[in-house]
Parts: sequence; C-alpha cells; structure tokens
Amino acid sequence: MTALRFSLETSPASAVDVSGLRPGTLAGKTRREIAGLPLQGWNETYRVGDLFAVRGDDASRIVIDGADGRLIRIGAELDGGELTVIGIAGDYLGESMRAGSITVRGSAGEYLGAGMRAGRIEVSGDAGGFAGSGRAGALRGMSGGVIVVRGRVGDRAGDRMRRGLLLVEGDAGDYCAARMLAGTLVVLGHVGTSPGYLMRRGTLLLEEPRTELPPTFNPSGRHDLLAIRLLLESLSGHGRAFRRFARAGPFQRWLGDLGCGGKGEILIARE
Amino acid sequence: MASALHLEGVRIEDTFAEAFGMRATRLTITAENRTWARHAAVAATGFATSVIACGCEAGIERELAPRETPDSRPGVAILIFAMSSKDLQKHLERRAGQCVLTCPTTAAFNGVPSEIAHDWLNLGGALRYFGDGWQISKLIGGRRYWRIPVMDGEFVCEEKAGLVKGIGGGNFLILASDRASALASAQRAVGAMRKVRNVILPFPGGVVRSGSKVGSKYKALVASTNDAYCPTLVGAVRSALPAGVGAVLEIVIDGLDAPSIASAMREGIVAACRGGTQAGVVGITAGNYGGKLGPHHFHLRDVLA
Repeated sequence: MTALRFSLETSPASAVDVSGLRPGTLAGKTRREIAGLPLQGWNETYRVGDLFAVRGDDASRIVIDGADGRLIRIGAELDGGELTVIGIAGDYLGESMRAGSITVRGSAGEYLGAGMRAGRIEVSGDAGGFAGSGRAGALRGMSGGVIVVRGRVGDRAGDRMRRGLLLVEGDAGDYCAARMLAGTLVVLGHVGTSPGYLMRRGTLLLEEPRTELPPTFNPSGRHDLLAIRLLLESLSGHGRAFRRFARAGPFQRWLGDLGCGGKGEILIARE
Repeated sequence: MASALHLEGVRIEDTFAEAFGMRATRLTITAENRTWARHAAVAATGFATSVIACGCEAGIERELAPRETPDSRPGVAILIFAMSSKDLQKHLERRAGQCVLTCPTTAAFNGVPSEIAHDWLNLGGALRYFGDGWQISKLIGGRRYWRIPVMDGEFVCEEKAGLVKGIGGGNFLILASDRASALASAQRAVGAMRKVRNVILPFPGGVVRSGSKVGSKYKALVASTNDAYCPTLVGAVRSALPAGVGAVLEIVIDGLDAPSIASAMREGIVAACRGGTQAGVVGITAGNYGGKLGPHHFHLRDVLA
C-alpha cells in the first residue's frame, strides 16, 4: 500500500480548510469518495477533486503535495497516523491535534500547533507567529506534544503555552514565551524583544548570549541543574542542533516575570 | 516418603518456607558520586527489618552504574515492602522525604518498569510541598518530575513510583555446629544472594539470629523467640534441633516475585552448604506456620531442583 497523496493541481482563490484530510476521516473510503468530500473555502465550498489529484490508498499515511499557503488547518484535530506536507502549509497547521505526527517539508503559517494536546510536528523551514500558542481568545496555548521548527518562528511563539515542548533551531520574534503558563520552549537563535513577558511558569532555554530580558526578570545565578540536564538529554533525539545544545551549560538563570508571580525561568547558555 | 536431600553432605530438610503477599516499590537513588548515593540508600533503608515493629521492610537491592540510571549518575536501587498500599505510601513518603531529600546532591526516581507496576504511589507528588510553593513540575520524556529548591540547588524527584504485588518472608535456616560456622555459612549465603535481582535481605547484614514464632506467653507481644531452634533451650523445650547443632542463623528474603525469591534461596543454600559438614554446617531447614497463614510456599526440594 502506498501513502494517500493529495497533489494540489488548482490553487484556490482564498484559504481553504483542509482539516478533513486526515487519517481518521479518510480511513475506509475509496478514492472516488474522497474526491467528492467537501472542503470549506472562505466563501465557497470545493470538492477535494476540484483542487487535488488523489493517488495512493493508505489513509494512515497522507501526503499533501504542492501546498501554497492557502491550505489552512492541515492536520487540525489529528488523532493518529502520519501526515506529510510538501510546500507552504497555511495557518493553523496541527491545531488541537491529539496524536500522530505531521512533517512539513517547507514552511508553515501562523498559529502552528495552536492548542495541540499531543503528537509531534516538525517543520523543516520557518513558521509564522503564535507557534504553539492558542487561538485568539483561548486561555491556553499548546498543552502537550512536541513542535520542532528547524528555521525561524515569528512573534509570540509559545504564547500562553500550558505544557509540551516547542523547539526552534533558528530565531524567534518578539514576545517569545509571553504569558507562558508552563512547558518548555527552546530557541537556539536570536530572540526579539521582551522574551518571557508576563510569563507565569515554564522554562525558556536560550543559547543566544545577547538576549535582552524585560526588567521584570531577576538574575538567579549560574547553575548546573540536574532537571535541566535531564531535559537537555531528552532533546538529543530531535536533531543534531539539539544534540549539540544538550552539552550546553551551566546556565545563567533568570526568574520572572515578577509582574505575575516570578515562577518562570529563562536559562541562557552563554552570557 | 521422599528420601532426604543432601547438598555437599548437608541434610536439607524436606520442608518449605511460608511467605506472604506484600506491597513493594523500587526507588532509584542517584547522587553526584556513589558515596552519597549510598549514604541516602543506607539511611532510607534503615530500621526496616520487619513490619512487626518497623512498619515496613527495606533494603538495598544493588548499586547501579551511571549507564543504568535516568540521570547518568551513580545510583543505588532500594526496595521497600509493606503490608498494604497505604502503609507503603506512608513509609515511602517518610523515607524518601527524610533520608533522600535531605542527603546532598541526591535525586530519586521510580525504579519499577511500568509493565509490572500494579498501581502508582505518590513520590515527588507528595514531597513537592516541601518546596513551599517554589516547586516546579517538569514533564521530560513522558515522565513527570518535581524540582524542589533546596540549599544545594534542587532536589529532583519523579512524581510517581510504581507499586508491585511483592512477597515477603521467604527464608531458610542454617543449622551449624557452632556460632562461627553458622556465621561463616550465612555470610557466604548473603554474598551469593546479593547478586540476585528483585530481592532484598532486610535484616542486619542480611542475617537474623532472633528467629521468631507467632505469639508469646506475654499478652503484649505478637511474636517471641523461636524456642524450638534455640540451642540453649535444648532439654527445656520441644527442640527442633538435631544432635550436634550449636547455633542457628536465618536468612529472610523479600522479593518482587516468587521466581526471584526462589532463585535467591537456591543461591543462598548452595553457598551456605559450601564446604559441607567439614565447614560445620549440619543442616538447612525453613520456617513455616504449617502452610495455613501464607499463600506462598517455597519448598526447599523444589527450590534446589
């Protein structure tokens, strides 16, 4: 059996919600049935066959090929199986996913993994703002699972993050880990202004030595902490850059945001 | 009737050890070096020879190389046994809290694989309150840890420890011609048994000299000296000792499962009999209550088969 492959042949005029193209909803359906499934656009309903050429038959492994940024909510609510996206994934990739894995060979839009509860997302390129956060108005961001972005992420990565692991090999924008509730966010590149703004708990690990922290973070000394060593060792399986980072430390530890409890920590490898 | 079994000329009595169901857990204690891991393990397993008065039975199972521990530091595995899950929770919490948390550089991890865990006990989940609100929970590789700020940094402790339906009270008795021979034989046995995994020998040095029987002439006592095996009472009571026995020592074994206890008994009896009667070992027997109290019977004949 070969992976079920959706090759984008006709680019839609506006964003289209393709969250229905996931293993749980396609299992047991023929290609003809799949081609007739509706996909909701901005102002228009498409059939899968209007946009995609469908090949293959294994619904537990899905490939979406040629994504051009207009396909939104890819893998949203995913509850198992493998999904591969080739191209530019639109916003809300992996939103509220509960299990399974999504691999993007390309880049992803805003709200990557927003509200995800479990599973794994890996993006080989860049991702937009609000990666690992929650939808606008949601009280919590991602509450489990792992997101790995090999490139850069936009502003507000990990906003309101509640649990889980968000790993960024490149740079992160402004307000990284803002309003973070718990969980772990690692950035190996530069971070923008105000990392950890209104952070309540959780861990932000940075390799970048020139990070300017908000004045509401207090230095807590340089430490070699066992829990952080355990955490770093657990990152080794997420690629060469994190394997290298696993040897970092001791870390300069900053506690904050003192504006809201001060139980969060920012750990900086070199300072 | 089956013929008597002999090992290196030592008579093995055709009897059985009677053992009881217990609740057990394993803790992996690590530290910056093996000395401090041992300090914590020794303290955490102290005063835990018998549930009769200690509330639990505990001992060091074995030392762990850095490659065997979750944090790649030297460690020690300890086993704790109690009569109920509730008792085990209480003693785990006290011993981890007073003996491991307090010991410099240590960390405590669950040592029970999830496949054999019957239930879960609160470990870090109970100790975390020592952090007075500054404790931090961290989910790493699917396991939840608590980071409790202490004066040398942080005490890291896994949230849960697995509970296993274990067995306590496996035993055998070494009948020897004199005290020195009994002790030498017992030490050989303990040395061999300590190599068996999943078991502990909870008494001092792994050996008991005060074997007990159920009940006493004194109402307050639930157990008293096993007079039938006291050489100084030969002639005064109905002694179980054959002629020529001048000293008896017992080895008690608690284990996570029956095969491990049987294996430890076999290793121990074989080592105890080494040198045979020339080494002053007269016989091997085992303690039981007629088979009416404990559901686990370790027949010496089967154990040595």
